[in-house]
Amino acid sequence: MSTETPVLEGRDLTRYFWVKQGRGPLARSVPVHAVDRVSVRLDAGKVTALVGESGAGKTTVARLLAKIIKPDEGQVLLNGRPAPRGRPRSYSSQVQMVFQDPFASLNPVHRIRHHLVRPLEIHHMAGGNVDAAVAELLRRVALNPPENFTGKFPHELSGGQRQRVAIARALAVRPRVLIADEPVSMLDVSIRLGVLNLLAELRDEERLAILYVTHDIASARYLADTIVVMYAGQLVESAPSATLTDSPAHPYTQLLLSAAPDPDRVTPPHLEGRGAPPSLSAPPSGCRFHPRCPFVMDICKREVPPSIAVSPGHVAACWLHVDPAERGGGENGVLATPSASMENEIKR
Amino acid sequence: MTIDSTALTQAPLAGPTPKSMLPKVGLRLPRSPKVIAGLALLAPFAVVAVIGRWISPYSPNATDPQHWVQHVLVPGTGPGTGITANYYPLPLPPSAEHWLGTTVFAQDVLSQVLTSTQATLFVGLIAAVIATVLSILFGVTAGYFGGNADEVLSLISNVFLAIPGLPLLIVLADYVPSAGSSILLVAFIIAVTAWAYSSRVLRAQTLSLRNRDFVEAARVTGEGRFRIILAEILPNLVPIVAASFLFTTLYAIYAYVAISFLGLGGSPTSSPPGLWNWGEMLREGFANNAIRGGWWWWWAPPGLCVALLGTGLALVNFGIDEFINPRLRVAGLTRKAAKKAGITSHATLGMTPVVGNRPAVPSLAARSQNVGDAVLEIHGLSVDYGYGDDAVHAVVDCDLVLRRGRVLGLAGESGSGKSTLALAAIRLLRSPAVITGGQVLFHSKPIGGDGPRGTIDMLASDKEELRSVRWSEISVVLQSSMNALNPVITIGAQFDDLLRVHRPKLSRSARVERSGELLDMVGINADRLRSYPHELSGGMRQRAMIAIALALEPQVMILDEPTTALDVVTQREILEELIGLRDRLGFAALFITHDLSLLVELADEIAVMYAGRLMERAPAASLFNAPRLPYTHGLIHCFPPMHGKRERMQGIPGSPPDLNDLPKGCAFHPRCAWAMEQCRHDVPQLAPVNGSAREVACWLHRGDAKVPAELARPDPGVAEVHA
Repeated sequence: MSTETPVLEGRDLTRYFWVKQGRGPLARSVPVHAVDRVSVRLDAGKVTALVGESGAGKTTVARLLAKIIKPDEGQVLLNGRPAPRGRPRSYSSQVQMVFQDPFASLNPVHRIRHHLVRPLEIHHMAGGNVDAAVAELLRRVALNPPENFTGKFPHELSGGQRQRVAIARALAVRPRVLIADEPVSMLDVSIRLGVLNLLAELRDEERLAILYVTHDIASARYLADTIVVMYAGQLVESAPSATLTDSPAHPYTQLLLSAAPDPDRVTPPHLEGRGAPPSLSAPPSGCRFHPRCPFVMDICKREVPPSIAVSPGHVAACWLHVDPAERGGGENGVLATPSASMENEIKR
Repeated sequence: MTIDSTALTQAPLAGPTPKSMLPKVGLRLPRSPKVIAGLALLAPFAVVAVIGRWISPYSPNATDPQHWVQHVLVPGTGPGTGITANYYPLPLPPSAEHWLGTTVFAQDVLSQVLTSTQATLFVGLIAAVIATVLSILFGVTAGYFGGNADEVLSLISNVFLAIPGLPLLIVLADYVPSAGSSILLVAFIIAVTAWAYSSRVLRAQTLSLRNRDFVEAARVTGEGRFRIILAEILPNLVPIVAASFLFTTLYAIYAYVAISFLGLGGSPTSSPPGLWNWGEMLREGFANNAIRGGWWWWWAPPGLCVALLGTGLALVNFGIDEFINPRLRVAGLTRKAAKKAGITSHATLGMTPVVGNRPAVPSLAARSQNVGDAVLEIHGLSVDYGYGDDAVHAVVDCDLVLRRGRVLGLAGESGSGKSTLALAAIRLLRSPAVITGGQVLFHSKPIGGDGPRGTIDMLASDKEELRSVRWSEISVVLQSSMNALNPVITIGAQFDDLLRVHRPKLSRSARVERSGELLDMVGINADRLRSYPHELSGGMRQRAMIAIALALEPQVMILDEPTTALDVVTQREILEELIGLRDRLGFAALFITHDLSLLVELADEIAVMYAGRLMERAPAASLFNAPRLPYTHGLIHCFPPMHGKRERMQGIPGSPPDLNDLPKGCAFHPRCAWAMEQCRHDVPQLAPVNGSAREVACWLHRGDAKVPAELARPDPGVAEVHA
């Protein structure tokens, strides 16, 4: 893991949503633990992928980092310093977001030019020549020649082109961080790679720190330097992307990988840990995955697993990786190398 | 990594700009016949409202009791009775001098109508302006800011909504006696009673817009609140504001006429004088026996004016409604076009219409080929959306044979026509989809129950025949199926309904048992029969729908992206269940998806569609490991691998084609790395490659073209195909 200060960091981010349970006057509000003590760091020139199923809290983390919503606990640090309160322009000039649905994220009544001119004007980025700046932005996201696009309405563009406009809008303020929430899941298969490659170029050329939120672990492996896996509002594992997909340490990650489509697979996969994620208004005690976990132990039901460094840069929140002698103590932050027998158990 | 993604976006820009699907408001509105008729009705009123005062022949109050009325002798008076002659006045009927006759007060009706139009219309318009401004202020602010602001503002508008408008109006008008003499004051009083309803509508719309991605995106950009409301939200509300403006105008005019008719508008002869308006004219007429006296020229003109103006405004409002709800417009347009093509709407209800004179297509049997275990044969199927020159050819000349107990995968991107092909084959698409050619044969050998036996020509079948086959013999699960469960009935009751209708011989307890068995089959505990749909997760509801689709033991299941909306783990579980059931029950499955990587693991045979045509068909392993079509090759390399070295992949340059504006020749040629001159001109047909069972529609495999190495890899499945 890099020792540099991360550009954007979320520390112990926690967010509840209140939902009504019951009907009429007897209804009471119960908290849904959408995100529970999640820490992520985004480094310059790196793509971090946030992977999980729907309802795992990925989008909530992205929105917390973009400061669209406020955390109930925890804090967001920009360049190592606590981010300013609210969402001042000084923050939006450094942290930008790309949304999932390019059909919804551009205002249908405005031309492409409007979408790019506004951020330039708000943040005084154009330096006098707005048209040149707009053309330059469109060229950066490979919409050539730019004059073919500036006068068009969003509905006149294809999905991939729209998503490029959305990325161009995010780039207009020259941000240091780009938060991309499922940027390709609404696009046709044949044009997804084009958008992913564009993100890769922005990372390499402009040293952008990118958070790539996705449910598609194969595309995370393709694009990201680090993959972070979420389950039921919590982080379960994080590792360099090839390490994570080749030797997953958390049973949930293993389940996710075995369920993902893989044409190279010879025999049908065997799913360990069927079932559905738990209700977040009454999450299971201990490890939230324990009701589905094929390796469940007593301690998993009682206590929240600590984050264990399985290998350098590879962290898993799982009791299996805690030395059996230490499990009794069950203190958070206990570091242990998994024993050989344990490794076998996991890879079984 | 090298940087060159420019090529990715070049292709779609070549050629003319595609026809825009969503023209701007201003361009579309005047074309609607309703709007044109409405505007034609409104135009004379608008002219008169402005110039009426000057073109009216007399002042509305001018009276000439000597000449402008008939003098009728009161019976029992006058000469010979000893009583002084007494006359009473009667209004004059229309004449050259008084085009609309006169009133009993010896006033000119035409002058009154012309003058009244002005006040009536201006009160309506000004009231609508005030009400619209109020409703935007209250509605949009409440909707956008939410929280306490919303509570307070909504409370105010709810209070106004709860007070009945007309009584409030009467009280207000009565309390401000001078109101009748001022257009502005009347308009304001009416506006106060009229804004609340549109305010509710605008609030609801703003609430839904507030969390749209584009508003959120503007916020992330750093846009200020008021700029967001003015520049991002309001423009999207324009059609609704326009509709509610017209509605309020109409309401205000009716309200003004009503209070004036009740005598609250102030009489033009009192002090201060009230304004002449249609309501006032009607009041005078009615109060002076215009109807009983048969003096139609007095009461009919203002009455007709109210009716015509109301019709005009309502017509324009309908036109705007159609614009807001494109579905209304499309329905109207297609009905007309369909009639031209000889298809009546009652014939298209619930099934895809078929054009009468389809070219004949030979079936397997007709080509003296073995039908064997084929269960659904599709030959040369073509499907259009729309009629005549505007038709979009969504599916062109497609052949597919579905065999018992096999899974046929249909892969393609959005707009490739894969769903259209499958759903048109069983005639589930509604007009404007129309089958323009081909043949679909269903060889029925019921697995259970007593369905029809023998071959059914799906395109020649009537509604009854289709009904006997659909669901019981051919069932469908769509991506959205999980939302098709009735939310107010338990899962068990929905199973029970289906079984009771289709399996009348089953007793109640047998039905319950069978329902439990079905749920069990898709991996849901039979206890869940008592659950309501909302109590199940999306994955469970989709499983329940699969169970319902299997309930009548169909021979064919059409699965259209059944797991696309679900998470990978759930998807995997459902697919496992499906394959297990296929093995046990022996139905044939047509599995439609955009996810080729999934299909490879699942299907026996895969057909790839592009721009409405079948482009390649091969056993799954052959297709994945040794694609013959450049598009298939590209598509396979769009799925990053889960193992091995991480390498940059290129995907397919360009975008999927627009069906309104397909390139000439092979539709894929603008995106194809190996495109040749011939590809730009001639459409390749699906044909076998080198005598094998696999087929491809590509010029590279025809004649003496050199096949690129990527498209000539050894085929692992060839032996299998021959066997």
